[in-house]
Amino acid sequence: MVLGNYKSAVAARSTDKGILSASQDGGIVTQLFAFALDEGIIDGAIVAGPGAEPWMPEPVVATTKAELLAARGTRYTISPNMALIKEATRSYGLDKVGIVGTPCQMQGLRKAQLYPIGMRDVPDKIALAIGIFCMENFPYQGLETMVEDHCTVKMESAVKMDIGKGKFSVYTERGGLSQIPLKLTHKYEQPGCHVCLDYVSNLADVSTGSVGTPDGWSTVFVRTKVGDGVWARAVDAGCFETKPIEEVKPGLELVTKLATDKITKNQKTVEARASFGVKADGSGKALRNPYL
Amino acid sequence: MSKVVEISPTTRHEGHTKLVLKVNDEGIIERGDWLSLTPVRGIEKLAIGKSMHQVPKISSRVCGICPIAHTLAGCEAMEASIGCEIPEDAYLLRLILQCANRLHSHALHNILSLPDMYLPGTDVKINPFTPEEPVRTVALRIQRLREIAQTIGEIVGGEAIHPSNPRVGGMYTNITPRAKAKIYDLAKEGVPLMHAHMDLMIAIFKNWDARPTAANASGVEVEKTEKFGFHDQGYMAAAPLYASSSLDLDPQWSPERWTEVRPWDWYMGEMEIDLEDPSYPFGGTTKAGAKAWPQMEACTGVPLYDGAPVEVGPRARLAKYRDYDRKGAMGLQIARQMEFPDTLYAMMEAVDALDTSGSVLADEIPSGDGSLGWCANEAPRGCDVHLAKVKDNKVQWYSLLVPTTWNFPTCSRALEGAPWQLAEVIVRAYDPCVSCATHMLVVDEEKKVVAQKLIQ
Repeated sequence: MVLGNYKSAVAARSTDKGILSASQDGGIVTQLFAFALDEGIIDGAIVAGPGAEPWMPEPVVATTKAELLAARGTRYTISPNMALIKEATRSYGLDKVGIVGTPCQMQGLRKAQLYPIGMRDVPDKIALAIGIFCMENFPYQGLETMVEDHCTVKMESAVKMDIGKGKFSVYTERGGLSQIPLKLTHKYEQPGCHVCLDYVSNLADVSTGSVGTPDGWSTVFVRTKVGDGVWARAVDAGCFETKPIEEVKPGLELVTKLATDKITKNQKTVEARASFGVKADGSGKALRNPYL
Repeated sequence: MSKVVEISPTTRHEGHTKLVLKVNDEGIIERGDWLSLTPVRGIEKLAIGKSMHQVPKISSRVCGICPIAHTLAGCEAMEASIGCEIPEDAYLLRLILQCANRLHSHALHNILSLPDMYLPGTDVKINPFTPEEPVRTVALRIQRLREIAQTIGEIVGGEAIHPSNPRVGGMYTNITPRAKAKIYDLAKEGVPLMHAHMDLMIAIFKNWDARPTAANASGVEVEKTEKFGFHDQGYMAAAPLYASSSLDLDPQWSPERWTEVRPWDWYMGEMEIDLEDPSYPFGGTTKAGAKAWPQMEACTGVPLYDGAPVEVGPRARLAKYRDYDRKGAMGLQIARQMEFPDTLYAMMEAVDALDTSGSVLADEIPSGDGSLGWCANEAPRGCDVHLAKVKDNKVQWYSLLVPTTWNFPTCSRALEGAPWQLAEVIVRAYDPCVSCATHMLVVDEEKKVVAQKLIQ
């Protein structure tokens, strides 16, 4: 089950041109949170807002559509969204919290709900968790090097970044496109990503990403009862244009392939940690395995 | 011929204490010592050399019922030492936090006191855990009041137990307009519950006070005395609701009037237990033949104000600021109930005045030059004084004079004249918080004297 449990999978995009104007793909996260805010399903959502440096995300609690719009677009660097999960229920006074995050952040969220260590009042206040697909992430300096040195684009000039079809692409506001093969980016990957066994946010209520659907569209997995309820209402309300995932190219086949590749590769890294070192007596010495 | 009976441990209060009671032939207490047996943790000593930002977070861990008092008194003692004025909105957030904590603490104490009491007009003792009415409704109401209080505390304080938001210089964060509205709604929900609850609790305590006899939990009925829980000590309070500090124009507490003596100077000497009652709930009193030595066993210092022990807490506040004059154990209990309305009304006023876009951190936080600063926070149980000297952001000296520490010797005096079987009812009236009281044995030159006495 490399794609996790899900009730349904579709290709979708938002019907709101305003959202799509600067969304990374189909505007799924922004549209779904905007709908959930309007309907009172959530009263705020933790999203990756604009940060102190160009392309540096800063987690924010968005309670308006304007704040959601400001968080559109993928920033290929770390945004510690879970850092706000408790505060959202404190000084923000939220009762129904939405949160978007990568697979690892969805794992942190679910763990906090089941094993709330110093997370009083968090478990029952999570109303909607949207996960995004994630192959790997980069530290900010890594991203800066990739963009400014390899792609020779000033961070300030970039309007969109994208990883797809084996390339890292940077689009500039003056219409330029600069691409490098992904092979060049590997050394900048965050090492912690190399033990991650989740590609499509298996633990989210709804997960979404670009792989499997054409440009401007997103692949969406509706996973939980909560996710199913919100998604169905949003579709009924005309928020999304959808197509059966079977009718789009490349479809779930490619998603499955990439998920399998990620998990297979990282599973090997996890296993290699067991025999990483050697003790003085020649016996093996392991690095810690959090999955044990 | 007086005899000695010992109740150890005491129950239905915070922490670990015992009662060593000298009683006459009728079982009336002639001299009683109520003393802490809680291990000393030494917060004041370990604070030395630590950052002024860390120490209030450590002293918060003195107690989980009133961590707000220790966090705020700690922060404000540091602020007083370094001379830092916090912004108005930070003060308002702290005030709301203080109110929330008092509401929850008093309501919690009701659960501890109720099993001593009767349903007014009946001989039925109140068991807060019974599923039967009318007690069930009362218990649920107490729980809702505490839930409201803890939720509000969580919003303004960051956390209901060990608040994370207060810091030296103000608060880490202001709250959002949504949070402000939520506090207001919760407080309004609490108002009618609180009034109904207060009225009932006062009726219950008055009813107990008027009874000629009362039973302890094992059903042994004894005659009550007229002046049950009276004492002649004075009262000490620094504010009706919040606090006073050395930054105030007119400080309401004075370090010059405070002295401290050893338990050696205050408590009884070594003695043998020669009265025992195996039926005392639950598990009986200490066996006859056992030794007790309050001077040696007490784990607190004995703070004095103007050279005498004083009572602190709800009655002390009402006596000082509202001319309250009801004495005795039930007088104290009733005063505690009378504090309920203020918690919610003051909270609503503060939240009304709060500007959610106001700054909550002082522009400048001096690093301190070693001056003495103090803050007397009116904790649920009374005046909680923290004194500190901060230099270069580090704590050089730190002392905690905690409400129950003040009350230990006073309450011991109040035991006199009461039937020993009801001694715990007097103790509970003080809502003791013994881990608060036993944060450390104060160490100074006098310690040498104590040490010498120990060797002899």
